[in-house]
Amino acid sequence: MSDQPIPPRPDYRPGSAQPRLNRPVRERYPQIRATSGYGDPRIRHTGPGPGAGTEQEPERSSKLNARLVLALTVVVGQLWALTVAVNEWMEGNTGTAWWGAGFLILSFLVVIGLWLLDPKDR
Amino acid sequence: MSVTEQPAPAPGPEPAGDEAAERLRDRISADSLTTRRDYLRIVATVSGGLAVGGVGVAAGILHRHGDSESMPEARKVTDALAPGESVAFRFPGDEDRALAVRLPDGTLVGYSAVCTHLACAVLWREDRGADGELYCPCHEGVFDARTGEVTAGPPPRPLPRIFLTEQPDGSVWAIATARSGEPAREALCRQLGDSHPEMTRQLGCPGAGRAAANQRGRT
Repeated sequence: MSDQPIPPRPDYRPGSAQPRLNRPVRERYPQIRATSGYGDPRIRHTGPGPGAGTEQEPERSSKLNARLVLALTVVVGQLWALTVAVNEWMEGNTGTAWWGAGFLILSFLVVIGLWLLDPKDR
Repeated sequence: MSVTEQPAPAPGPEPAGDEAAERLRDRISADSLTTRRDYLRIVATVSGGLAVGGVGVAAGILHRHGDSESMPEARKVTDALAPGESVAFRFPGDEDRALAVRLPDGTLVGYSAVCTHLACAVLWREDRGADGELYCPCHEGVFDARTGEVTAGPPPRPLPRIFLTEQPDGSVWAIATARSGEPAREALCRQLGDSHPEMTRQLGCPGAGRAAANQRGRT
């Protein structure tokens, strides 16, 4: 055994030795939130502390996804209706082409309705 | 501040760190984020465009190739057409490309030469198929030479027909047209209309007797 003194153990600090890479974290595992998933419904605006930054209203996101999917489906139907209308008009069936145009307008109104359900949604 | 906006990093002690942080911030702010709300707005705009397009189509914004509402003026196509040969011409208008073909068995057929898929030129290919074929080289569309029906490829409708007649001297004339899939009698009745009451009566067109009576009443 050498009688050289043991160098002092460096102080433990979470994160990097470079301060610019560190967020102001006070926990060892800041990614693990105490309230991951559904948050406390009474909390509308999260501040610092456990659960900050997580989704407070998952239903709002689902509703937005559903509106978007429905609108896209309607647009696919509109593309189909437009090809049918062009075909019918080219074959001389002008009345059927006007029915197709009516369908396209109704579909547009449905999409507008989906958008107007909550256009100010953040 | 929304969740996508990040706060500016705190200035570091060394200038190199500042520069790196600035670059990172520039890169993040250069990414233009399209949110789901933006997508919903874009989808609504596209839907409106499709609705306007549908109304335009029904109102007749597209040109119906090889079609004529009234009886077009007869036009001489060629002086003679041998079996297996074809000739290109314009009918009923000067912009309507058309094709007259004499099939190997002597049958004379005429069609619009504008493909019903994406309006490429349709060619007569005697070497293809049993009777020869009308062939669109753009997307391999094939039409039956005898009926104009689609036999292969992407075209959605048969070729519009052109009625041809052959004079005793062998010259070929184009006299009338029919839309895609329109029966010959209906096409002739539509184009003859009130202008040729005798012919419409001979063809047995619906309303031919009334049209003839109106004609007599006027004269």
